[in-house]
Amino acid sequence: MVLEKEILKKFQDIVGSKNVNDGEVITNAYSYNWCMEYVNYMEDKEPIPFSPIPKAVILPSSTEEVQEVVKLCNKYRIQFKAQSTGLGPWNQPSTENSIILDLRRMNKIIKIDDKNLYAVVEPYVSGAQLQVEAMKYDLTVHMPGAGPQVSPLASATSMNGPGFTSPHTGHSARNVLGVEWVLPNGEVLKLGSAGLKNHSDWYNGDGPGPSLRGIMRGWAGAKSGIGVFTKVAVKLFPYPCSTEFKLQGYSPNYNFDIPDFMRLYVMDCGSYKYLKKVILRIEEEEISFMCSHLSGYGLTAIFSHSVESMMDKMPIASLKTPLVVLIAARTKYEFNYKQKVMEILLDELNLKNIIGTKYTPNSIFYAEALRSNLGLHGFIVTGGFQSAKGQCDTVKTCLRTTKKSIPLKKKYIKKGVIGNDFGEGVWMTSYESGHYFHVESITLFDQTDEESVKGMGEFMEDNYQFDLVKHLGAPFFVEGDRMHNMFGPYMMNYHKWLRKIKKAFDPNEIADSGFYISAKSEN
Amino acid sequence: MALLSEKCKWIPQVQIKSQKYATACPSIDIYNYHPYSGGGRIILALLLETGRIEPSEELREIVYKCTECGSCAVSCKFLNTLEPLEIIMKLREKLVELGGGPMPKQQEYIEAANKVNNPYNEPHEKRLAWLPKDIRLDPDAKVLYFVGCTSSYRRQEMAIAAARILKAAGIPFNILQDEEFCCGSPILRTGDVKTFKKFLNKNLDVIESKGIDTVIFSCAGCYDTFKVDYPLYREYTFRVLHTVEFFDELLDTGKLKLIKEIPITVTYHDPCHLGRNAERYKDWDGDIVNLMPLVSINIPPKPKRTGSNGIYEPPRNILKKIPGLKFVEMERIKEYAYCCGAGAGVKSAFPEFALQTAKIRIEEAEDTGADTLVSACPFCSTNLQDGIEESGANLKYYDISELILMSLGLEPEKLKEITKEVV
Repeated sequence: MVLEKEILKKFQDIVGSKNVNDGEVITNAYSYNWCMEYVNYMEDKEPIPFSPIPKAVILPSSTEEVQEVVKLCNKYRIQFKAQSTGLGPWNQPSTENSIILDLRRMNKIIKIDDKNLYAVVEPYVSGAQLQVEAMKYDLTVHMPGAGPQVSPLASATSMNGPGFTSPHTGHSARNVLGVEWVLPNGEVLKLGSAGLKNHSDWYNGDGPGPSLRGIMRGWAGAKSGIGVFTKVAVKLFPYPCSTEFKLQGYSPNYNFDIPDFMRLYVMDCGSYKYLKKVILRIEEEEISFMCSHLSGYGLTAIFSHSVESMMDKMPIASLKTPLVVLIAARTKYEFNYKQKVMEILLDELNLKNIIGTKYTPNSIFYAEALRSNLGLHGFIVTGGFQSAKGQCDTVKTCLRTTKKSIPLKKKYIKKGVIGNDFGEGVWMTSYESGHYFHVESITLFDQTDEESVKGMGEFMEDNYQFDLVKHLGAPFFVEGDRMHNMFGPYMMNYHKWLRKIKKAFDPNEIADSGFYISAKSEN
Repeated sequence: MALLSEKCKWIPQVQIKSQKYATACPSIDIYNYHPYSGGGRIILALLLETGRIEPSEELREIVYKCTECGSCAVSCKFLNTLEPLEIIMKLREKLVELGGGPMPKQQEYIEAANKVNNPYNEPHEKRLAWLPKDIRLDPDAKVLYFVGCTSSYRRQEMAIAAARILKAAGIPFNILQDEEFCCGSPILRTGDVKTFKKFLNKNLDVIESKGIDTVIFSCAGCYDTFKVDYPLYREYTFRVLHTVEFFDELLDTGKLKLIKEIPITVTYHDPCHLGRNAERYKDWDGDIVNLMPLVSINIPPKPKRTGSNGIYEPPRNILKKIPGLKFVEMERIKEYAYCCGAGAGVKSAFPEFALQTAKIRIEEAEDTGADTLVSACPFCSTNLQDGIEESGANLKYYDISELILMSLGLEPEKLKEITKEVV
């Protein structure tokens, strides 16, 4: 659907002519995204990696420009979809009446407050960019499993946000403080202390009155379905060890000078039941920087840079129920303490650390762990993966989900449409030293193989039904009307409340609801 | 392989040292829309291949506003097996086939090369006009200095310095004179493979007829084209070296001695053609074995061109051997160095883009505290010097061979006189 010239001109007047493009090539290119093909299939569409083509792509450079663009969208009843670093189908328009707001020109780190441990960033600051600047103050930032190339603002305001360093750095929902939010009508709402009349600052996400953080993002975010977030304050955390970061050699075979006070433990717990006991016990001691369970198969991937290089890691691939714990410290005393605690725990739990005996990872593993790059290793086997599940729950529920889902996954493995991880391919992490847990079912598929794409879509669909029937919690990709209508009745009719929120904030449905919920009533 | 569309915009994540110098791709840095990135251009190839878009003026602009610097490929291949640079080159080839490329200015220089053997439309017979009178060529020499069009006509100071250094080291060498033709690099980068092959054959026919052992290049573009691209179309047996490799060897064997102090602070710009792209393809004759549905592996593992075998240490070794010179590194170096902005026909078709990119690189050089920027490529030389002039940066620029020459004992002033005299 072409944008009328008169409207195009008005957008150009706001952001400058070179920052609006309605050309066939640009708009078509923005219709592509990773995983769009199986999402299309699940919605009974052709399984191609393209969404509806946006009417135009607009590159605002400031909050004021975003406001003006959104107001214009309201005037002409054009929907908008905002994206920052743009990873995944959630960034795609769901109708042919949408424009894309690509926020990449809004790329400033506004502030790093090293005393009060937070940073204020715009949408197109990447996790890696914020982290390296925070490292100059001996601090670090939470990054989601999606990797250091994605936007902390997007993760904090609009997505889910578990990460490999979650025992230390928490969860995106818990790290968001003050927020600047352009509502679907173009007005600006500042959350928490950012909205104070006098002496406003970003240190707190809640102010007097009800908290709006839940409305803004809730569990998994609105994926731009409730407005555009233009600034956010996120918590910073102490960098876990020395910030000296020395790499030698050339990509991808870098040698990393492992900081003095870091140690990796990989232990085979033997069963899910015992894993539960072990992970709770270790996290009780609050010493880990990383504490993740992966299948043996997944574990080989995080130590490898190609599928071929996984082949020489059979000692770890054969582990039945592995647990990965990384400890790091800033002083020798702290390190000695943490090591001693681990020694006692291994003894108490009758576990052996295979690192240094059965297997020694390349030093680059430690660099990637510190820089939150490990999640991207999921792509090396089949070239594509997506996560089913996505529970945030107790360790018991997370492991029940894992165990109970194995037969379902095996059914699809047997069909040859998803990668064979023996049904056990999950990643589970603790949050905030074991206060709660997250699990997702990493599922390997081939985006270039139509049968695999369809199989992945069917597997996801079956998983949703399975989670409902077996009471395994809400997956993190419950998005769009169909999914909310499916899960809502089983979960206190939350979808009705969510719909009311959408209606209150966006009565004209200007913020594209494709991956959120529409204001229209449930039929 | 999943196209994540984002990693190609950044240098390898573990190498990011600051927010300011985290990005990898000049094209997306300047033009902002996603199709201007490596991942975005792969999407364009997919769109074109699947018939969702047709060749158009809009498509041509986007496809050719890329220096083919290959930084996207290095970042991508840290973990993946996608080949963004190769896909970009194939996309251009496809556009040329379909009549949708190259850019008019590039077509002009291709026509000039067809006519007078160089893209600058300079008389072929003046190719050797730079040669100082006291330099003797040896028709029986086993070492050939392939000067290249840019050093012959535009950056003669590089050719002069190279010839003088060879003389100082007592190396008998020859130059092809009127039998040297454009290496074809600027033509190949536009996607016009047919014309490129013509120049490849002309050059190889001449060199092979002369019993040459070693060909040395002061132009990174010619070097990369001979070393990496020629063997894809026609094999040859002589050795190819960039002058930094050759001079580094001469320093190691004592044939050259750097004696004169040069009290400057230098930072070095890795040319893309000498660095990450100067990595030869390795033959692979293995098998693709299906381990299980959807999972196959290469046995033995197929070598990946990751940029790790570029020429990185020889120029640094040379600089570190110059007495009195202080060497400092920029943040983006070696396989993840930021491009100067000139390559793949950008300087001629989109001079403003080239200049903007150069200014970004110059700011990075200035941030090191260096007073002098050094490189080893005539294209980088021209574009970076244009950038210095345009931005008013307080930096001097030298080709590395000029610094060698100075440190051999020739006064810089004298060097300038020589340059003037012959130009």
